[in-house]
Amino acid sequence: MSQASAVRGPAVVFDDVSLRLGGQTVLDQVSFRIEPGALHCLVGPNGGGKTSLLRSLLGQMPHSGHIHVEGASKPLGYVPQSLDFDRNVPMTVNDVMALLGQRRPAFFGAGRRQRAVYAQALQRTGVGELGAQAFGSLSGGQRQRVLLAQALSPAPRLLLLDEPSAGIDEGGVRLLEALVGELHAGGVTVLWVNHDLQQVRRIAQSVTLINQRVLAHGPASLLDDLPGAAR
Amino acid sequence: MNAFYDFIREQLQALAASGVLPQPFEYTFVINALLCAMLIGPLLGVLGSMVMIKRMAFFSQSIGNAAMTGVAIGVLVGESYTSPYLSMFGFCLLFALTLKYTQQRTQLANDTLIGVFLSISLAVGASLLLFVSAKINTHVMESVLFGSILAVDHTDMNVLLAVMLACALIGLPLYNAMLLASLNPSLAHARGISIRTVEYLFVVLVTLVTVACLKIIGAVLVEALLLIPAAAARNVTRSLPAMVGLAVLIATFSCVVGILLPMQFHIPVPTGGAIVLVAALVFLATTVIRATSPRFRGASA
Repeated sequence: MSQASAVRGPAVVFDDVSLRLGGQTVLDQVSFRIEPGALHCLVGPNGGGKTSLLRSLLGQMPHSGHIHVEGASKPLGYVPQSLDFDRNVPMTVNDVMALLGQRRPAFFGAGRRQRAVYAQALQRTGVGELGAQAFGSLSGGQRQRVLLAQALSPAPRLLLLDEPSAGIDEGGVRLLEALVGELHAGGVTVLWVNHDLQQVRRIAQSVTLINQRVLAHGPASLLDDLPGAAR
Repeated sequence: MNAFYDFIREQLQALAASGVLPQPFEYTFVINALLCAMLIGPLLGVLGSMVMIKRMAFFSQSIGNAAMTGVAIGVLVGESYTSPYLSMFGFCLLFALTLKYTQQRTQLANDTLIGVFLSISLAVGASLLLFVSAKINTHVMESVLFGSILAVDHTDMNVLLAVMLACALIGLPLYNAMLLASLNPSLAHARGISIRTVEYLFVVLVTLVTVACLKIIGAVLVEALLLIPAAAARNVTRSLPAMVGLAVLIATFSCVVGILLPMQFHIPVPTGGAIVLVAALVFLATTVIRATSPRFRGASA
């Protein structure tokens, strides 16, 4: 894509990151580096600290240690596991895009130019026809596609994905992989929290396996030496 | 501003005298109250929709209760009985910020903490009011609790106008950030939003609006007018712009009709009660529409 071709994604360095919540160790001296423009997957068991590490990177966790982003990280795209939402709130997909993508109050709607940007992002994730539909009425997979679309608008330099393929059908997974691959090819640094080892083997350039602490870090091929380690 | 109020008043009174407008428009206090209603409607409609989405209805109720304590403190320190704004704003802001701070420090559930603070504010307010009740007229207490258009003066209108300006300057640019901060904090962080800052600012705005509306609606019912128009609008809309727009219309309509109807038909009810009853009727109507119309019944399926 032309809009991604000039992007130079940043490097991300986790330096001795530890986190304790409610007396429990969630992360223990986690250190590793993600190279600029890498498509990096973070794998590990449930409760292994993957999402907490991502949230620490977002500045949301009271962690110790340092997290450096070397290079420009903005715009930063982030796809959460879900968007906690009262399904009865009358909010269309376009409203959600406006809420996330502009400073002008979402209840004023989007300007003409912004509407075109949102429509293009939704089109790229295969939900272009859902703009006027109530967000609460979407299936889990459709919601994930909308969340992916908002992360593409504006085009990110650093893309953080927190298990975005959960609940997405086969076609959606292929689309997601193709989109992320496209962004990666354009120089965007991607950090993808992922459970699906088959998918990780298919797409990742580098991998970190964590279970509170780093168990392994290196090229994606290291998973071949650790069969089933993340499960 | 007073000259501006006088100008509007004279025009409306002239129209009432010539029979174009109903007879209540001949009274200065009715026009004052209607001017306030035109300010309160948009304020409560926009803010109320956010309060509803953020599930903070009981927060504004606790602020209303805290305002009673503010009135009592005002009387104790010698402020005007009818407009103890310094004490009300001072105490309510202190109360709201303490509540928010406690919630952020303890991570206790919102409803639990608000329930505790609401009880405390009610207990302190009731005790202090009983203590100072000997010093003031019972009607002053009644107007604080349930609102009174008779008591609205230029000071009240200026306070409302100032609060509306503050909301427009702070609330509009941060509307999306405030909403997003509660829907998904991680996403808000990723968008560069300082969650703590916008959450505190939201609490301050709700407090300012609640206190500024007390004269018209009253401490007991102000939360209802924040919530009911937004809830009624939610019943029959399918998008955020439609919901907020309709909430503004319903809030303004309720205020205007709630002020004029008792005047026109000489019904002896407090303004706050009349306004909330009108809003409640609208809510009832929209609930019936939602329950019977397939278009809205399936909106959230």
